[in-house]
Parts: sequence; structure tokens; C-alpha cells
Amino acid sequence: MSNGTTPTRASRANLRKLKDLLHKSENRICADCGAPEPKWASSNIGVFICLKCSGVHRSLGTHISKVLSVTLDDWSDEEIESMVEVGGNSYANSIYEAFLPSGLSKPSPDSSNEERSKFIRSKYELQEFLKPSLRIVSSKSSFSSFRSCDSVRDVDFDALNTEGMVEFMGILKAKVIKGTNMAVRDMLSSDPYVVLTLGKQKVQTTVVQSNLNPVWNEELKLSVPESYGTLKLEVYDHDMLSSDDLMGEAEIDLQPMIESAMAFGDPDLLSDMQIGKWLKSADNALIDDSTVHVIDGKIKQEISLKLQNVESGEMFLEMEWIPLMQ
Amino acid sequence: MGILFTRMLSSIFGNKEARILVLGLDNAGKTTILYRLQMGEVVSTIPTIGFNVETVQYNNIKFQVWDLGGQTSIRPYWRCYFPNTQAIIYVVDSSDTDRLVTAKEEFHAILEEEELKGAVVLIYANKQDLPGALDDAAITESLELHKIKSRQWAIFKTSAIKGEGIFEGLDWLSNTLRSGSG
Repeated sequence: MSNGTTPTRASRANLRKLKDLLHKSENRICADCGAPEPKWASSNIGVFICLKCSGVHRSLGTHISKVLSVTLDDWSDEEIESMVEVGGNSYANSIYEAFLPSGLSKPSPDSSNEERSKFIRSKYELQEFLKPSLRIVSSKSSFSSFRSCDSVRDVDFDALNTEGMVEFMGILKAKVIKGTNMAVRDMLSSDPYVVLTLGKQKVQTTVVQSNLNPVWNEELKLSVPESYGTLKLEVYDHDMLSSDDLMGEAEIDLQPMIESAMAFGDPDLLSDMQIGKWLKSADNALIDDSTVHVIDGKIKQEISLKLQNVESGEMFLEMEWIPLMQ
Repeated sequence: MGILFTRMLSSIFGNKEARILVLGLDNAGKTTILYRLQMGEVVSTIPTIGFNVETVQYNNIKFQVWDLGGQTSIRPYWRCYFPNTQAIIYVVDSSDTDRLVTAKEEFHAILEEEELKGAVVLIYANKQDLPGALDDAAITESLELHKIKSRQWAIFKTSAIKGEGIFEGLDWLSNTLRSGSG
């Protein structure tokens, strides 16, 4: 990662400049369709745009528009400086929309992808709305790419298919600390390991040989999609010869942690405090109430569980929630 | 005879399933490739802030194709999807020459992953329709593919928009997966 040509992350001062620029009133609507609170940008053109328009910008190719997310991407100093130099959506639009034909209206936030795409191509790729004196020069250079993109224009944009997308909300780090009083599944002891399941994801710890009070201290990571369910914990006894035997299970409700984290916002800005609680009840496996804390800017929750569907056993975990800021 | 023969065939060729991850930097064309594979059409996409997953039946293999978002802060999520993966499709925007070094670094970081040791790698040198796109030989050099050890790989020139090269790559993948586990 130390290769000299790799762009390095921008300085804190520059990141501050980018955020300040984004928060200027003119940049709080998309430069192309007017949708509120755009979080994307074309770093070479110097405009802030919404998610839908960013999709069209990306289809133009990076020789026309380099799209970055303000929140999800690392910016280099040069990229921020070029945004700052342009100065935001008003100035950029005074160039790119200097001569907007009177009959033509800009797309709106709910415009079809076809309409949005047509406008954005005319504005940046063909540069049809520049001052006429600037236009002649630029149309020459973009002529060849316009021809090669003809096939794109014939595409049926109504076939927009984003239904399949599942959005991430964040990463769950689950530290499996230890188990106590585990059930015997072999002659005298058991070889326990823990499996965590969230939707289709499954992660597991290593096997601790013949131990009824196993200590793992292992950190497992799971990605959390937008519609997450409960986190399922299962303990198994590892068998060489037959299939592994269940040594108890429990369900973990992720909602208290994720919802309180969402309610309180960026944990970096919070001092150490309790932000939520998952209460012990007859319906869950908690041994004690489990509180959600902010500690050193991190969202953490300690959980102690009584294993279900088994003679005995308790499990201890520490979870950390890393939200994906958008 | 008829039934027996069909059974034999299906035991050799049929019902094979493969889990595939489509990875690459943001705006490489991963989602466009996924839907080109699944529907045979070009769809307009927005950045994937998560994943798309689709099943693609091709050459008697049922591919479960996972397309994971490529934005910088989403790349750490890729690891959550590494277990039980038979193949990686790594997609490169061949016209975005400024970021080929980053593409190379991410690529070699993936190859180092223990959980992906057994996965075969198919590289798509995508966006061949754009001006200034590097060809497969130049992408091979940029990504330093000669450094790949003890792993089957192949690179194809593709244009997801025009539908070129995508299925040729999938042909290679299905042949490789089939011969790999007999």
C-alpha cells in the first residue's frame, strides 16, 4: 500500500473544506435534478449530485465524470482542491447551463432515468449548453465518444433493476468471549465451538478441545443488511466420526443496539455514555439486562446468555456496531 | 437405458452449483455485468451500497452470483462473503487508468485471503467500448497477473454495455470449475 502512485487520503483540513462546501446552501440540492441533500460528487466537474444522477454520471466513463461518494469514499487532496476550486453547484451550472434552451426543463428528483440520462449527457458529454464560443472546441473532442455511446442510448432504461439490491447498514463485530457450565456431549466432556448466523451469513469460532468452560476471545465479523433479523447463536460439540451435536442455542436481538446507534448519530462525537438497553424478559435468553454504551467513540454491548434447549450452559459476548455512514 | 443414461449424465454434469463473488473498485461495472449475465440485458444502475445476488443457470451449472459494492468504505465488507466461494470475477474499468494501481492492490489483497485459496479467478478487462481503454495484455501487466501462484486464472476483454466477452469468460469459468472437481 506504499506505492508512490497510489493517491493518499486527504488531510483533515481538506476533508473539513469538503464538508463545508457540501453544506453550503447551493450544494444542498443536486446540480442536475434538484434532489435534496446530495451525497455524491463528480470530482473533476466539481458538482454535488444525488445517488440517481451519480448512476448516470458513472455510465459516462471516468474520462468525462469521476464520481465519488462524500461519505463512502476516500478523497485525495487533489480531488478536494479541484472541487473547492470550482466552488460548488452554482458556479459549475453557470458554465454548464449557461445557455439552457428556453423550452428545455431540467429533470426533477422523480424524473425517469431516461429523461435524467438524456439531460446529463447533453450537459456534460456533449456540452450543449455551454457558451457557444466554448462549445465548438469541446464538441470536437467529445464527438468520438458520443458516437461510440450510441448503443447506450438505445438501451431500454425502463428495465431499471435495482430491486435486487440489499443495502448495508454496518458491520457487527461479535467477540465470543467464553462459555461456562457447558453440557457434556462426549464421554466426560465436549469439544465446543460457536456458530453465529445472520440471514445467509454464517461465521464460527475455532473448536476448544474437551472443555466445559471454554474461552475463545475470538472476534467474528458479520455484515448487517437493511432488513436484518435476529442473530442466532448455536454451540456445537465437534465430533470426528459423527455429525456435530447441539450444545444449546440462543437468539440475540440486534435492534436495541442498531436503533439506539441510529438515534444518537455519529459515535465519534459522543462522550462515553449509555445509549440503549436490551431488557431481560421471559421471551429471551438474557441472564441480565444488556446495556448499549458508547466507549471511546465506539458502540458496544456486553451480552450474557443462558443457552436454550440444553441442560446447562451460559455464553458471554461483547458486540461492537460499526455503522456505515451515508 | 434412457433413464439410467440421463441419471449418469446428471450425476456428471447436472446439478452442479457454484458460488461466485463479483469484486472490483467502484464503477468497474460489476452490477451491469451481473444483470447482463442474469437477464442478457443492459440495465441502468446506481452505486451498490451493499450487494446484489442473483442465480444464473449456464452450461449446466447453477451459479449463485454475489455482486458486492465497491466504494472504499464498503470493501471491508467483502470478507464477510469469502467463505465457500468457488470463483472470483474481478472487474476492472480498463479506461480508468488513474486507478489501476489501486485496482491492482485490492486484487492482490484478495488473493492473499486464506478463505479464497481454492477459488479460481476470472478477470474482466471491462469497458472496452470507452475511448482510451487498455487491452487485456496491458491490464495483465498493470494488475501484475504474472505474480499469481498456484491458481487457475484467465482474463477476458469485455464490454458489459455491448455484451462482448462476458459469456466467453463464463464459458472458461464453467469448464474450469467442472474439470476442477471432476
